[in-house]
Amino acid sequence: MELLHRALRHLTTGTHRARGWLTGLVALAAAVGLRAQSGGHATDFTTTEYYPDQKHVKSVLSGTEALPEPGGRLVIKQLKLEQFDSDGKLACVVTAPECIYDTVAGTANSAGPLELRNGDGKFQVTGEGFLWRQTIQFLTISNQVHTVIENGATFNTRP
Amino acid sequence: MKISGLIVLVLFNGALLRAQTNLPGEPSAAAGTNAPALPMPRPPTKVDSDTAEFDLARHEAIYHGHVRVDDPQMKLSCERLVADLPAAGGRVNHIVADTNVVIDFEDNKGQTHHATGDRAVYVYEVHDGATNETVTLTGHPQIEDADGVQTGDLIRWDRGNDKIYFENYNLIYRKNLNGAMADTHSPVPIIPPPVMVKTNDFPPGTVESTGQPAPAPTPPPPQP
Repeated sequence: MELLHRALRHLTTGTHRARGWLTGLVALAAAVGLRAQSGGHATDFTTTEYYPDQKHVKSVLSGTEALPEPGGRLVIKQLKLEQFDSDGKLACVVTAPECIYDTVAGTANSAGPLELRNGDGKFQVTGEGFLWRQTIQFLTISNQVHTVIENGATFNTRP
Repeated sequence: MKISGLIVLVLFNGALLRAQTNLPGEPSAAAGTNAPALPMPRPPTKVDSDTAEFDLARHEAIYHGHVRVDDPQMKLSCERLVADLPAAGGRVNHIVADTNVVIDFEDNKGQTHHATGDRAVYVYEVHDGATNETVTLTGHPQIEDADGVQTGDLIRWDRGNDKIYFENYNLIYRKNLNGAMADTHSPVPIIPPPVMVKTNDFPPGTVESTGQPAPAPTPPPPQP
């Protein structure tokens, strides 16, 4: 049970990171969406968010394509979100081949795979199909959830 | 509820110690050399399920459907597992595994143990500087190993004190056809099914690692 506990501790610490990533995803995707709506669709985009000091990168959202759809939705292809600690160290990475961000409902979802891993790659969650509900901060992974925690996996728990 | 028996299972202690200790891994075999043993990388822990939910507002992680925890020292399966999400830098202090809970683990002697129940609850709390860490198995809980089956209305594993408490303890241990305790060295296999000796209302006391009960109290003299 200790091992389970330890594993879950890593997992849950990782989900705190996920909250940051997904919050960033929503905000950054919205920014991309605004740009895309004004000039068609965006390709090979990268959006960077900085810490308040404006020196250190907080997160990087990138994708190969962002397509606006009716109803305030935005389809993002080859999504990749990287979250960094304030010292510049990679904290975690979220990837998904495709993601639909609903600017009205404040949700991000996909029927495809999702991968979430920490900076050193020793903690990883994968699954098929996900839904992130921003308003209630609730992430659902619908199918085939696999969590792998390798020995020595560490997480920077600084706020 | 009244605790009818306090059972100290040394065989569990090894597993507890192993579980509580962050072992660097088994040393590698360097047969025929004087090279120092190098630690082998510890295999990863895996948690699989059909679905998972992370309620970050309520600080909960919820796994649903065919939940399996696969660890080198333990395997757990259930249908639903809920863990409280700790604050940053904190630790998980509450885990509930529900429905068809099965825990398989190996002690430090290499003996396997099979625990089952409807629910397992892990609690970690600190009161007045004292740490309380328990795993409580309820819903027809039992622990089975090569020596027999131990059951109770409730089985509580006090990790801090390395003890296991049973409520309404019940021991069923196996004997082979010669009446000797069945073990891996027994000349007579357990098949056909072993004779089961059932002990009810086991008196309060302590048992050794074999799971055998303490000596039965002397029967009272016959009344004239």
